[in-house]
Amino acid sequence: MNDLVDRIHRFRQSDRWIFSYMLFSSLLSLVASFVLSVDAIALAQNADAALGCNINEVISCGKVGVTWQANLLGFPNAFLGLIAEPVVITIAVASLGKVKFPRWFMFAAQIVYTIGLVFAYWLFYQSMFHINALCPWCLLVTLSTTLVFTSLTHVNIRDNNLYLSPRLHSGLQAALRMGVDALVITLWLAFLVAAVVLKYGPALWGG
Amino acid sequence: MSSKKNQPNPNPPGTRREQLQQQREQQAKERRVRNIITFSILGVALLAIVGVIVAVVVSSRTLPEASGGGAATGDYTIAVGQGDAPVTLSIFQDYMCPYCGDFERTNRDDLEAMVEDGTAKIEFHLMNFLDGGGRTYSTRAANAVVAVAKAEPEHVMAFNAALYDSQPEEAGMGLSDAEIAELARGAGVSNDVIATFAQMQHQDWVNRSNTAAYEAGVRSTPTVKINGTIWPGDGQTSAMFTPGALKAAVAEAGK
Repeated sequence: MNDLVDRIHRFRQSDRWIFSYMLFSSLLSLVASFVLSVDAIALAQNADAALGCNINEVISCGKVGVTWQANLLGFPNAFLGLIAEPVVITIAVASLGKVKFPRWFMFAAQIVYTIGLVFAYWLFYQSMFHINALCPWCLLVTLSTTLVFTSLTHVNIRDNNLYLSPRLHSGLQAALRMGVDALVITLWLAFLVAAVVLKYGPALWGG
Repeated sequence: MSSKKNQPNPNPPGTRREQLQQQREQQAKERRVRNIITFSILGVALLAIVGVIVAVVVSSRTLPEASGGGAATGDYTIAVGQGDAPVTLSIFQDYMCPYCGDFERTNRDDLEAMVEDGTAKIEFHLMNFLDGGGRTYSTRAANAVVAVAKAEPEHVMAFNAALYDSQPEEAGMGLSDAEIAELARGAGVSNDVIATFAQMQHQDWVNRSNTAAYEAGVRSTPTVKINGTIWPGDGQTSAMFTPGALKAAVAEAGK
């Protein structure tokens, strides 16, 4: 038993696991961004696409796509995913092929992706509490962005790419060895699921 | 810690063996914590899955109950106009739905004229699927309309129009009970009827009306049917928001 747990935790720290997981999540995120971008174009071309309140899309009324929050920078937010996710995919694939990126590069990737994460959660918050609508693809973006962020952070702590003080770094590494990160992610995802289910509940499955 | 400064010896305290021993203890401690964490993760994941399943089961159980044994859609209609009118216009709507407001405002004069001259009768089907997350506006507004329809049906059209004229932001919690009452008063509803709104006597009725519409295949609002046929077909919903298009379609159906 202990041996199995040992092996799982060792595998969790390996390049193969971290970058496969990063690749998978960034592909998910890219697909979701792509669908949302296509939707955004369809909305722009054809107002009919927005004219109705669709029961199964929980309250959306086609209005999430036309709110100011959905076009914060003057274009559909989903375009950002189309720009950013291929970079992450490249990092993941190259790293699986044993490419080692310079420290400053990974550090920069971390900073940019953290900004992306903040943006994703801001949108999640807006659609939950201000637009009062959730769209399934937007939720997928929230989820996959979270997963990509955790994989990137994991590898950057493991490889000491974040210019942390030695003490903080060794503390964080011990936390990684003990699986604290996995616990935090699980709790966080459970919290998000609970929030969505409690707020929208029956409406999500077509009540 | 404090002795560190005073001891230049690079290998304090004690021998290499003691250091190894210490390291091993540290590792054992980490492993114990790690195992606890591993099982906590499994526990949390399991709880989350069970929680979601329970939520799905509970809500899917309460819904059929609310439908009161699957009453026919026809039972949950707010009928306006002359019973022998040649055309029946069914309108499925939720008072929070912005496009229902667009539809009503676009066609209001035509709707009133058609009811007036007997070209068509209207059957409103009230829905409340836009409620949720503490928001109850759709149900409260629909409850008020049902109350008016049962007691003073002559004011339904005016009250319906007033609700859409003051339609709240889709993002918010909707109008307050007092604001709904004020709109009803403006539409000519008597104070006796308005006083019953707050009791929410027709809440179940509205829930069942919503379920019945859903079971009848309505998946979005507004949905408009002319003599039972969805209008306009082929997803060309923009006709709903084109002045005169509905009137022409009704005239066509009445020939």
